[in-house]
Amino acid sequence: MKVIIDDKEFEAEYGEYILDVARRNGIHIPTLCHSDAVPGQGSCRLCIVEVYERGKNKVVVSCLYPITGEIKVYTNSEKIHRMRRNIIRLLAARAPGSEYIKKLKEEYGIPEETRFKVDEKEKCVLCGLCVKACEKLGSMAISTVNRGATKKVAPPFEEPPVDCIGCTSCAHVCPTGAIEVREYEGKRVIWNRTFELLKCTSCGRYFITREQYEYMKNRHGIDMKELLCDRCRQKSTAEKLVSLYKKLLVKKTLFQCYRLQKD
Amino acid sequence: MHEKPGEGILKVKSILEKYPKERRYLLAILQDIQKTYNYLPREALNEVRDYLGIPLSSLYSMATFYKALSLKPKGRYVIKVCDGTACHIRGSLDIVEEIKKQLSISPGEVTKDGKFSLETVNCLGSCALAPVMVINDKYYGNLKPAMVKDILESTGD
Ligand code: SF4
Ligand code: FES
Ligand code: FES
Repeated sequence: MKVIIDDKEFEAEYGEYILDVARRNGIHIPTLCHSDAVPGQGSCRLCIVEVYERGKNKVVVSCLYPITGEIKVYTNSEKIHRMRRNIIRLLAARAPGSEYIKKLKEEYGIPEETRFKVDEKEKCVLCGLCVKACEKLGSMAISTVNRGATKKVAPPFEEPPVDCIGCTSCAHVCPTGAIEVREYEGKRVIWNRTFELLKCTSCGRYFITREQYEYMKNRHGIDMKELLCDRCRQKSTAEKLVSLYKKLLVKKTLFQCYRLQKD
Repeated sequence: MHEKPGEGILKVKSILEKYPKERRYLLAILQDIQKTYNYLPREALNEVRDYLGIPLSSLYSMATFYKALSLKPKGRYVIKVCDGTACHIRGSLDIVEEIKKQLSISPGEVTKDGKFSLETVNCLGSCALAPVMVINDKYYGNLKPAMVKDILESTGD
């Protein structure tokens, strides 16, 4: 089906989200809480767009608005720009410590906050992506705690989380860099818990916590004779392919020789 | 009278037994535990986790979300001072100040003897009586700071 975004026509599938269609066609819509790996958050409201559908006009979040009929979309109309500025201003008041938010603030020319009391160090916008990621991976070590003005993301009792395996998925999915990970001398520290790191059996680089290793072994029954980091695993797969290819080549050549002989 | 902590994983077990092992009973279970112990002891939360098979993080999230649940022991008498809009305008904070002075505790705290704990809440639905406070189940309306002392003194075990 057809959809018009910023006065240009594009193809979309029934039910596809506006954001996905826009991205596929190189139209930039700013987002914060959207992650392809953990979709459906819809909490930051940064990705709002204006939609004209059946003679009516409304503002929707593009990351969660499915296209089900003929619509016209404006990703940066005057109204959207104004509303987005307000959203960024509030996000900046909430998480002034985040580099990403600072950049947005600059891009949208938002003045320094004078009206709200802010915590300069705060980086978290409470989008909930980290909690979702942790849940999806099965550890469920962190959650949102409290509510209202004191809501935050934390492990139970705000102690080093017992269920955490130190995989750092939460830190990776976080759009504002709010979750700190430190690595030194074969150790990794996240959520105030210190993990021992294991080395890649091929290149010797520390890359995985013991808990992650146990988890993969139990959950996915991964063969653990060799413990390869991503880089080495890619290399080893590539090498295996090459040797397989070579073997095939040899077979083919042999076969051709055999045919020649026969002829 | 409320159970003392430690006196009773047995109690927790008997609460748990009343409920099927399904997540949707979590809040009801936590309310029962809160009622029995006057707070949610950590050992009890661990028991709930094992019984329902849900992560501690979910329990902690719920336990900190609802004001009716608390992780620290509350007083035998829980004073809830309404700080909703109507009560706020009619001076609820002066009431809080007076209680603080009388009992030397701030909202969220318990007196040393464990008798009183203080909290503020958002609208008790009795705005016509603003400012309002409730001690356990008893309502006190049209409060003035000068009334606080008498009310606290007349509240006894
Ligand atoms: S820590 Fe990051 S991912 Fe988690 S809620 Fe805060 S901003 Fe979102
Ligand atoms: S990216 Fe759409 S609401 Fe956050
Ligand atoms: S505001 Fe206090 S009872 Fe409604």
